[in-house]
Amino acid sequence: MNARLFALVFSLEARKLMSYRVDFWLNSVIGFAAHFSIVYFLWQAIFSESGSELIRGWSFEMMLLYYVLVILAGKLVRGAEHLGDIATDIYEGGLTRYIIYPTSYLAFKYAQHLGNVVPALVQLVLFATLYVLLLPMPEEAAITPASIAMAAVSIGLGNLLFYSFMAPLQSVAYWADNVWSLNVMFRFSSNLLGGAMLPLTLFPEWGQRVLDFLPFKHLYYVPVSVLIGTMGPAEWLRSLGVGLVWLLVIHLVFRAVWNRGKFVYTGVGI
Amino acid sequence: MIRVRNLKKEFRVHRKEPGLIASIRSLFVREHIVKHALKGVSFEVGEGEILGLVGANGAGKTTLVKILSGIIHPSGGEVSVLDHDPWKREDDFRSRIALIMGQKAQLWWDLPAADCFLLLKEIYRIPDGQYRDTLANLCDMLKVSGEINFQIRRLSLGERMKMELIAALLHRPRVVFLDEPTIGLDLSAQRAIRDFLLQYREEHKPAMILTSHYMEDIERLCERILIIRDGEFVYDGALDRVVRHYANHKILTAHLKRWPEEERAAAVARLQGEVLEAGRDQVRVKVDREDVTRCAQQLLSEWPVVDLNIEEVDIGTVIERIFNEKGKVPA
Repeated sequence: MNARLFALVFSLEARKLMSYRVDFWLNSVIGFAAHFSIVYFLWQAIFSESGSELIRGWSFEMMLLYYVLVILAGKLVRGAEHLGDIATDIYEGGLTRYIIYPTSYLAFKYAQHLGNVVPALVQLVLFATLYVLLLPMPEEAAITPASIAMAAVSIGLGNLLFYSFMAPLQSVAYWADNVWSLNVMFRFSSNLLGGAMLPLTLFPEWGQRVLDFLPFKHLYYVPVSVLIGTMGPAEWLRSLGVGLVWLLVIHLVFRAVWNRGKFVYTGVGI
Repeated sequence: MIRVRNLKKEFRVHRKEPGLIASIRSLFVREHIVKHALKGVSFEVGEGEILGLVGANGAGKTTLVKILSGIIHPSGGEVSVLDHDPWKREDDFRSRIALIMGQKAQLWWDLPAADCFLLLKEIYRIPDGQYRDTLANLCDMLKVSGEINFQIRRLSLGERMKMELIAALLHRPRVVFLDEPTIGLDLSAQRAIRDFLLQYREEHKPAMILTSHYMEDIERLCERILIIRDGEFVYDGALDRVVRHYANHKILTAHLKRWPEEERAAAVARLQGEVLEAGRDQVRVKVDREDVTRCAQQLLSEWPVVDLNIEEVDIGTVIERIFNEKGKVPA
């Protein structure tokens, strides 16, 4: 796919999403408020019950900052959460038009996936500004231009990894009629093992060592930790290497699945 | 432009009995059957030719179109379209074909047609000048210049189909597959699309394969038809030849002034051909083609004819008869 086409698909997707104004604001305000409230009240209760100012080195304020950034950066990583489109295209025959067009279907879908990042970026700027204005910044947080740059790279990798995870799961639709349960399983495990439900340093030591070799932490934990300064450049570089290897492995698995799937595609609906 | 030799396609499909017990059993054991959608078909289509592919539902028409356009993989045989193997889905091949599906929208539902066309301009890498000229020309021919800024989902079925046609032809394809392009459209939209396709054929000389259940599409657009039955071709040739073979007669209908009953009975007895109806106001006679002139002369000279109509047998009826027969149609 050429760069102009990629840019056009990206731009059309972003424009389309932002043209649904009600959905944009509902998703932004209500989605964020609900998520933030759960986290706020849950951790407030935990901290007050424990009677301690720190839990495994995390203060209440630092914990809140971590979650706010996970909520906002997570949207950038997940892009088009409805990557179920790929399964639907296979199942309902929408893939047919992309087979006819001289372009790559998967690149097309990735451009759409990235298009979803634009409204997420608007939300990130909006809520990050509100956070800075309304809530105290924890003293131990060290957000610097360098940490922002490293986080941006990690978010990029997380975005690619998320797409690379979802696409092969969706491709199972070549053989199975419904891949919804796979989506749910992936969503749950990636949230738990990727640091969206709780910071990975709250896991036992042995669990953390296992998670270091899995790809999930690159979705949420690494981008946010490096941004707030709880992960240093050396550790970040090492983890980036692991993430890139996973990206290559998942991509190779995906190509194999996709190429096998093409043979069983029946192009239903025409 | 299209060459097919001994093409076969088999599908393995899961067969499930109705009922809850069968549903539970299918969780553990599944029965599959092999369906032979195409049983070794061969044909060729040349430049500027519109080939009509005719067959009952499930005969294998759409499977054939899907293989020719590279959507599905054939189980056997050889296919060459524009000197490419469609299954390889090379960009050079895909840049020179188009598939128009009457039953499935290909344009992006939420985008205005103009944005869809811009997207296709980039997909096919159409130069700016050529894009502007082709789009203006196609919009003009189909009379939809005023609608291209509306979202696709807000257009009527006829307008949407016209947009689909424009989208499919923007890159001036050399091979066009038309799968029921007029399905569900009103008569005037059907006519507009047929006229447009003929004009496009005149100007660009692509090879076209048309599948349709509307006999008027076939009659107006195709000089040659392929009749497919259960995955096999039973006829490949001119439409009028098959009609002549199966309907070697015409129907003469004469509207009459009133005349005495006994005179009419005597005239009926003298008439050539098989009298289908002999009422007070009308007589209908089935006559062999070579006797049509003689019979018409007889009617005009002996009967009080007000108006005379000579009809071909309905092509749909002929085709339906072929669908239900066994064996091939003699060439």
